[in-house]
Amino acid sequence: MTGAAGWIGRSVPRTEDLRLLTGRALFVDDVHLPGLLHVAFLRSDHAHARLRGLDVSAARRRPGVVAVYTAADLGDYWRTGPVLVQPVPVPGVVFHAATQAPLVRDKVRHCGEPLAMVVAESRYVAEDALADMVADLEPLPAVVDLEAALAPGAPLVHESLGTNLAAHAVQRKGDYDAARAAADLVVSRRFRYDRGAAAAIENRGIVASWDPKSEELVVWDTTQAPIPIRNGLAQFLGLRESQVRVIAPFIGGGFGPKIMMYYPEELLLPWASLQLGRPIKWIEDRQENFYATTQERLQIHDAELAVTRDGKILGVRDRFLHDTGAYDPYGLTIPINSQCTLLGLYDVPSYESEFTVVFTNRPIVTPVRGAGRQHGVFVMERLLDFAARGLGLDPVEIRRRNLLPPEAFPHNHQILFQDSAPLVYDSGDYAPLLERAVEMIDYERFKREEQPRARREGRRLGVGLVSYVEGTGIGPYEGARVTVQPSGGVRVVTGVGTQGQGHFTTFAQIVADVLGVDVGGIEVITGDTREFAWGTGTFASRGIVVAGTACHEAALRVRSKAVALAAELLGPGAQDLVFDGGRVSVRGSPDRSIPLAELARRANPLRGAVRPGTEPGLEATAYFGPDRGSTASGIHAMIVEVDPEAAMVAIRRYVVVHDCGRVINPQIVEGQIQGGVAHGIGNAFYEQLVWDENGQLLNASLMDYLLPTALDVPTVEMAHRETPSPLNPLGVKGVGEAGAIPTGAAFAQAVEDALDDPGLEILEIPLSPNRLFELMQAGKGADA
Amino acid sequence: MIGRRPVTLTVNGQRHERSVEPRLLLSDFLRHDLDLTGTHVGCEHGVCGACTVLLDGHAVRSCLLFAVQADGRAVDTVEGLARDGSLHPLQAAFNEAHALQCGFCTPGILMTLVPFLHEHPRPSEHEIRETLSGHLCRCTGYAQIVEAVRRAASAGGDAAR
Amino acid sequence: MIVEGTYSFTGRPQAVWDLLLDPTVIAKSMPGTKELVRTAPDRYQGKMQVTVGPITAAEFAVEIALSDLEPPQRFVMTIDGTGRFGFTRGRARVDLQPENGGTRMAYHADLQVGGKIASVGQRLLDMVSRALLRSGLQALSRELEERLAQDGRTEEAG
Repeated sequence: MTGAAGWIGRSVPRTEDLRLLTGRALFVDDVHLPGLLHVAFLRSDHAHARLRGLDVSAARRRPGVVAVYTAADLGDYWRTGPVLVQPVPVPGVVFHAATQAPLVRDKVRHCGEPLAMVVAESRYVAEDALADMVADLEPLPAVVDLEAALAPGAPLVHESLGTNLAAHAVQRKGDYDAARAAADLVVSRRFRYDRGAAAAIENRGIVASWDPKSEELVVWDTTQAPIPIRNGLAQFLGLRESQVRVIAPFIGGGFGPKIMMYYPEELLLPWASLQLGRPIKWIEDRQENFYATTQERLQIHDAELAVTRDGKILGVRDRFLHDTGAYDPYGLTIPINSQCTLLGLYDVPSYESEFTVVFTNRPIVTPVRGAGRQHGVFVMERLLDFAARGLGLDPVEIRRRNLLPPEAFPHNHQILFQDSAPLVYDSGDYAPLLERAVEMIDYERFKREEQPRARREGRRLGVGLVSYVEGTGIGPYEGARVTVQPSGGVRVVTGVGTQGQGHFTTFAQIVADVLGVDVGGIEVITGDTREFAWGTGTFASRGIVVAGTACHEAALRVRSKAVALAAELLGPGAQDLVFDGGRVSVRGSPDRSIPLAELARRANPLRGAVRPGTEPGLEATAYFGPDRGSTASGIHAMIVEVDPEAAMVAIRRYVVVHDCGRVINPQIVEGQIQGGVAHGIGNAFYEQLVWDENGQLLNASLMDYLLPTALDVPTVEMAHRETPSPLNPLGVKGVGEAGAIPTGAAFAQAVEDALDDPGLEILEIPLSPNRLFELMQAGKGADA
Repeated sequence: MIGRRPVTLTVNGQRHERSVEPRLLLSDFLRHDLDLTGTHVGCEHGVCGACTVLLDGHAVRSCLLFAVQADGRAVDTVEGLARDGSLHPLQAAFNEAHALQCGFCTPGILMTLVPFLHEHPRPSEHEIRETLSGHLCRCTGYAQIVEAVRRAASAGGDAAR
Repeated sequence: MIVEGTYSFTGRPQAVWDLLLDPTVIAKSMPGTKELVRTAPDRYQGKMQVTVGPITAAEFAVEIALSDLEPPQRFVMTIDGTGRFGFTRGRARVDLQPENGGTRMAYHADLQVGGKIASVGQRLLDMVSRALLRSGLQALSRELEERLAQDGRTEEAG
């Protein structure tokens, strides 16, 4: 028996786990079709080169090879892709669009760009055929350094643009110059924040199957956005949308790059299947993933903070460069996120932020968990730390003095966010988050007793405490259809995909509470365009907010249909109805009840008449489109121990106090935070994509691109607070990226605190023992 | 041309005879020739651990073995863990403790843990983390996996089967 | 990647010079050289096969051009190698100075390495290139000594 309001807020074990645990979950590479052919891509070894010629004749003759395609073979299908996200309409914004074509025809712009596609009987034979091909590439000097790229005379990634400047935007509020003039202290620094690969354990993959008899195309794709993929494919191939079905089955981790759309492979596989009339498959291998899948990258910030002697923020000015790689299909999402997230939990009266996006000869940059928010948080949190040091204030105290008070909401920051709407924080209560984190990490006692005691023993312990605000749950919209089956089971269908967030369970919990059924009796379908074809996808921490709310609304509509029908059937006085245990009853008279299943059957009669305006069945579809996102927030605190000789950093404790609004499933939320923190730790200390001056990636394998292991990530201690969002009926906010956002800033603060060397400032992420050692040596030099 | 070789191996207790190219990886053989797709491939260079299976009871990376190297031997994969419709205690514990999110790395981790719990029926947290350190997970941050192993170990005898 | 160092040969600079510019000798001495043919007065073409860590027998088509020749003291060599596993391009300067009756060779090469070799073999490139060079120079040295011994015998005989 379930309580009517019993499911939301419970740590229900996931319904999808059974299939995943027994190896019976379908991932893209598990798709087997009769006559399946396999694909391998010839990719450029040079980062910047002219393609003078490509001889694939020997490859075509190899036994087992069915076809080899180059740009010339695409004919009219060779065209550059669309800009996926229109640039946010910041006044005066400059944006030069440059998008990729599926195969290189004239010029290579990053290592790994595809030159040719081989279709063969097996992947093994396809890779053999790659060795048969001869590409005549004339290397060009590579554009790698952001500042050098903008200097006059720099080699151009896109000659037609005449510049490597991809975009420029300035956002302002208040009057920073006045703020600076009035300040008692101005701290300014140059910061470098370098991100890395998403490195989901499952690489990308596509199976495309065109059936020439039924003229239908089915595509399995490791995408976070099956519906836009379907729409784009239909348009690209000149098919009706109804002829194309895209399925995103179980996906082994998304983290952002799998929402990038119309990757060359996503267009070429379906196209080739149409040419050959056979199903074909491409599975990315790990090395390809480092070049062929998007990633995040470096920003360089010159930033300053103006404060009063009491540590009150008067204003911030930030000028930064952002590396977009060889193309910029994703608009300004990442740098705008950096710009907006810098403001954090704080009251910032004046702000001036200017960014320049730069083309380089490296793979494309699109959002990876955090999507540029990390960069903004790092800059602000570090500036506050340096201001605190300059004023003789404790780093926690300076933050306390600048938090937005609870009566400040909704708070309009007057600049534009990634969804092109003004950045408005919908709700939040920051001081309790801060104090709870201070209490959990035992900050006072640590500074007063533990840290000095450790020092006397020769051990370097340090504490870092940082904050972040995260805009989540943005539009445009999602939809869901809820159906009560005549069997009594409930079917929930929505367009978003799932990459491990537990949608199958959390969406079921939402519907279960509305309809009074058991979660186990609810089947959730996601990511299949044949089931539901309106929506955008899973990104920007919006799944539960937007799709979850759509499920809620659809369930409410089903409920009102059930109410109307039950009232008729249960007789007079049946106004106050209770939905519980799969039945609908009159409150106070449990004998006057009818099973939901029965109502579903009655709602679809085989005979008789229905009243005008009736819809058959207990089914409803609803959409939810928030006009802006809801704001989650949190504090991270960590205690580290630094080995002063080896420069290794061990994390002793990690605390997260966060507010993601109403929590649907606590265990799932904790999993998201724990996983996010692991990702953040990786980015802060272990992960770095190392490029040489020729645009070569020097560590394209997991041997050399280090992901954190179970020995590197502590168990995070968590506390939740809930300030419900007023923007959706459930009051939920997103949480998927939160854990990953402030870790770099916390690391820097904690390590500086541990080393307590005024000559040592950490102005960059990632660290790494080598780099930390260098900084420690330099710090000593500056001191001496 | 590379000739094919006959291989005979027992997988999850069932005997299979096939003729394969010597260069066919064991992971590809299991996944595509035998349609046992529960074992996943994450890197093909032996680092992520997603492809882990048991070879004569020992945890190995199937992406670093050729199918011909398993000739005459016994392989166990994740599909063989549940018996008669009931989950292995590790699988049940993973579900209870929310030790999987996308689930892609999970089968490999389960297969490493089976012999581990057999040899260490009462592992310390450090021992658990050390064993897990041979596996990469990008979703969970490991804490809930550690908890699941702890639960499975304290469930007792059955976990070590 | 910078590869540089010195090596001492017995034999005068002219003898070493003749050796270094003889493609059959180089082909024999440099490990992994399958073929090296002079195609023009200062140009050579060939095939090399090298193992770098996990990448066994990576095959390269190489083109070598000599320039700035000042016999028998110095020359500059440009190398262009392309293969399935990547490429290498660069310039090397070679200086020969008489020393103690023999020759001291100093070399300085600036090589660009790209493709798979660079992205998975990075930590081994240094080691491998030094090992190849060391093997090669030792083989050249032995070749030179044999030649000198033969010339000696010829002189005696003649």
